[in-house]
Amino acid sequence: MIVADLSYRELEQRLAGPGLRLRTGPLVSLIRSRLPAVVRGISLLYAEYPTDDAGGFADFRVQVDRPRNLRRWLQPQAHFFSDGSVPFKPLPLDQAFPMLEWGLNWCVSSHCHQYLMFHAAVVEKSGRALILPAPPGSGKSTLCAGLVNRGWRLLSDELALIETGSGRVVPLPRPVSLKNASIDVIRVFAPGVAISRPVHDTAKGSVAHMRAPSDSVGRALETARPGWIVIPRYEAGLAAALIPLSRARGLMRMADNAFNYSVHGRGGYQVLAQIIDQCSCYEFGYGDLEEAAAVFNDLAA
Amino acid sequence: MFPSPQPRWHALPADAFAWREWDGEIVVFNQKTGSTHLLGDLAGEVFRHLVAADRGATVDALAAGLADDSVAPCDEAWTRSVAEVLSEFARLGLAQPDTP
Repeated sequence: MIVADLSYRELEQRLAGPGLRLRTGPLVSLIRSRLPAVVRGISLLYAEYPTDDAGGFADFRVQVDRPRNLRRWLQPQAHFFSDGSVPFKPLPLDQAFPMLEWGLNWCVSSHCHQYLMFHAAVVEKSGRALILPAPPGSGKSTLCAGLVNRGWRLLSDELALIETGSGRVVPLPRPVSLKNASIDVIRVFAPGVAISRPVHDTAKGSVAHMRAPSDSVGRALETARPGWIVIPRYEAGLAAALIPLSRARGLMRMADNAFNYSVHGRGGYQVLAQIIDQCSCYEFGYGDLEEAAAVFNDLAA
Repeated sequence: MFPSPQPRWHALPADAFAWREWDGEIVVFNQKTGSTHLLGDLAGEVFRHLVAADRGATVDALAAGLADDSVAPCDEAWTRSVAEVLSEFARLGLAQPDTP
């Protein structure tokens, strides 16, 4: 069963009641919310994700709702709850859906230490994963959104999960976060793609989410072998170009963007070294998304 | 009166770190601190010699050995550079001198 099998009313009732059990890749989240923005966001962006109404294990139990106090009426806010705790300060009510997305990212990066985790977008072609580690503001998510609309499979726009036993990348294909000018860039680049209504004045500026391609959602349990590590950097007017990076420096850039590398100690280093052995490493500057997609399609050819 | 002998420098025990070399560049992981270090050219050579020296090595011996390998003059400036690398290794927990 997938989310789209539920009517909008059934989705609302499930989110307001026992919760929606949503599978994203290897993880199951039990989501509860009475907020219309959250129901709309899930209906639009998670329509093709597996769900079931049976009881059972959930990796995370999360809720986004209004507090039960005067704030309900004065400058209404949304709270994010994770297994009963409140890890973040509340946000304005209109940021409820982005808050759910950020909260789910936090759940994964704070708890899933069975994986080696990096702050990176990952896409795949012909069985090889392109890992794009970079801090916010580098154009990583925009590049990721562009590539998945030009034939690449989305593994994640935010979190690279590495199986420590095999060194393979585990998909976590969730909606791609777009910020500020990137929202219109992707609307023009991929006119048919579903993008949520932008939410303005968040800590990251204006934010919208792009629906993950159906093929990526359908293949969410298919891991991929790391093939390339590319450090992206967007700069207006820059011609798209890959600049080779030594493997040692590639490893350092990955370590700089790791969430839990030190948690894994020597084992984490060894897995990372194993990934580096398999990868070509580059820095990549770009100013035009179509040009960038052409460069990566050539790389994978 | 004899001059006090130079301390011998030792890399940390093998189980305290892991290291790999790619195309001449060395990356060391320090198990104790959880830090990863990309070593520069000279630091990489010092590290390699130190790891190979079972009984450790003095600054002078390391400087002489490295000068032989690199055909650099083993003068005072060179020895000072090696000593600086070792001090940095001590700060990062990658090597330590014998305690007198």
